[in-house]
Amino acid sequence: MQAMSEKPNKIRWYYEGLSKGVFRASKCGDCGKFTFPPTGCCEYCGSWNVENAELSGKGTLLFATHSGSAASHPRFEKAAPFVYGHIRLDEGPIAQAIIQGVGTSPEDLKALYEKGPVPVQAVTLQMDDLPVIAFNIQD
Amino acid sequence: MRNQLNERVAISGVGCTHFGNLMETPEIKDMSLQELTAAAVKEALDDAGLSGQDVDAVFAGNAMVHSSQLPATYSQISKWTGTQFKAGVHFEAQCSTTNVGLAMAATAIAAGVYDTVLVFGVETTRTKVKDYSPYEREPISHQQSWLWTDMAVNQAYGVPQGYDIFSSYNGLVALGYCRKHGISIEDFDRGMFEVCRTRRLHGSMNPKANIQETLEEAAKRKGISDAFEYWQSENNPFVAWPSRLLSLVTTADGASAIVLTRADAARDGRSQPVEVKGFGINATDLPWYGEDPTMWESDKRAVESAMDMATIKATDIDYLHTHDCSHISGLCTAELIGYLDPGTALTAARDGRLRFDGDKPMSTHGGRHAFGHAWAASAGSDTYEAVLQMRGKAGKRQMPKPPEVSVIHTHGYAMIGTVIVLGGM
Repeated sequence: MQAMSEKPNKIRWYYEGLSKGVFRASKCGDCGKFTFPPTGCCEYCGSWNVENAELSGKGTLLFATHSGSAASHPRFEKAAPFVYGHIRLDEGPIAQAIIQGVGTSPEDLKALYEKGPVPVQAVTLQMDDLPVIAFNIQD
Repeated sequence: MRNQLNERVAISGVGCTHFGNLMETPEIKDMSLQELTAAAVKEALDDAGLSGQDVDAVFAGNAMVHSSQLPATYSQISKWTGTQFKAGVHFEAQCSTTNVGLAMAATAIAAGVYDTVLVFGVETTRTKVKDYSPYEREPISHQQSWLWTDMAVNQAYGVPQGYDIFSSYNGLVALGYCRKHGISIEDFDRGMFEVCRTRRLHGSMNPKANIQETLEEAAKRKGISDAFEYWQSENNPFVAWPSRLLSLVTTADGASAIVLTRADAARDGRSQPVEVKGFGINATDLPWYGEDPTMWESDKRAVESAMDMATIKATDIDYLHTHDCSHISGLCTAELIGYLDPGTALTAARDGRLRFDGDKPMSTHGGRHAFGHAWAASAGSDTYEAVLQMRGKAGKRQMPKPPEVSVIHTHGYAMIGTVIVLGGM
């Protein structure tokens, strides 16, 4: 296990990975579960014995709705309103993120809801100042 | 953990201001934050028959220091409340603040450290300090309000990557609820209308509520004779489909206060005391739920702790408030607690069971939508309402039979599940 003093900034590491299309997490050396996005310990068992890991970005979109029409953060002023979803990643973690491939209208979202869970793939969405994760619907 | 109070603790006094806008609402217009706080504190101290010098400690809650600009609140408020030279701390648990303060006070009293503790919460979500003026205020913009509020939400990954409260707290929970219980989107919409209608009814009977206009009156004001037609009109847009605007919180400026004391001393007070039977607090980070958006583990654990400490069952609860920034989330919590059977909350609303005069009354002050939401002060407003109901002093909205056991659940953004159990002495 790496000493705390030798560990890089985990948050910067996550976003640097995202800018390259890599989805970084940490994996617990004790219980084996993934903490995503990464922290310095296991979010499930509290162990400090964690290692850097990468996720596939594959998952299942369980539910999707839309954001408020006015962005709550300046970063998303150009994007709002956007579809926002609840995702189960193949490696186990639950994530919530922007969804691409479906419109924000009630009709579009209802059709998606009635279809049920659908496969999604994580991608990187480059905002003006920061790469952020989004998920594309895989039809 | 032992999860017990070693001495009995009581609420001997409660106070709460009108919730509204410090620049517009007549009852609180032009008050300073110091005066707003003092108004709630004075009501609570008068209720208990005490002065500020009779308390041993002051737990001062304020969450959004950006708008209050009152850090070290216990110190800055002390000359306005007569509480100088007492122990004090400024703390926050966001929208659970005042009831987390209640739990901290109960712990300190039951441990034998203090006999009497004053807890207060003050918050301004509509207005902020103008420039550096000691008394002028100005409105807070929508985006500024959320930027500051969302500082309580995952700042490493959640907010920077598009976290949206309307989605996470409303739309996704609503869809999870509909799918889990086989409820159509149309029935969901009708049920949410009835929930809002009930909360607005309660607000219309509460002279301190942020919104005192019923849905029927609001429709009429817009020239629409049918309230459900109004509900489905452009006046009530989807904020996170299938959740609409009127299923959400309304922001407010406000303050609340609670005086807690040893139960044996409370009997000598001016007003009918109410016992703190138990509490539970449990925190988590985003995402607040797993695959099932209706089941929040932090709430489940907070509920279990509180009911275990109070040694009550769900069937013992006479009055319930659950945090209802999002009406659907509040209903899920009521079902989680066991106050309502799973999947029945919307039907219960349609049948009028959640009204003050129904058999499963909830949020009789109007809840976060009608009574309004002043972050750190709101849990205290919920406790204030429960105490009024238990004393039979809730005015027009008084439950026909005053409750013996009340449970109050709040969400401290984001996310501190907090449950307190109050009982008659």
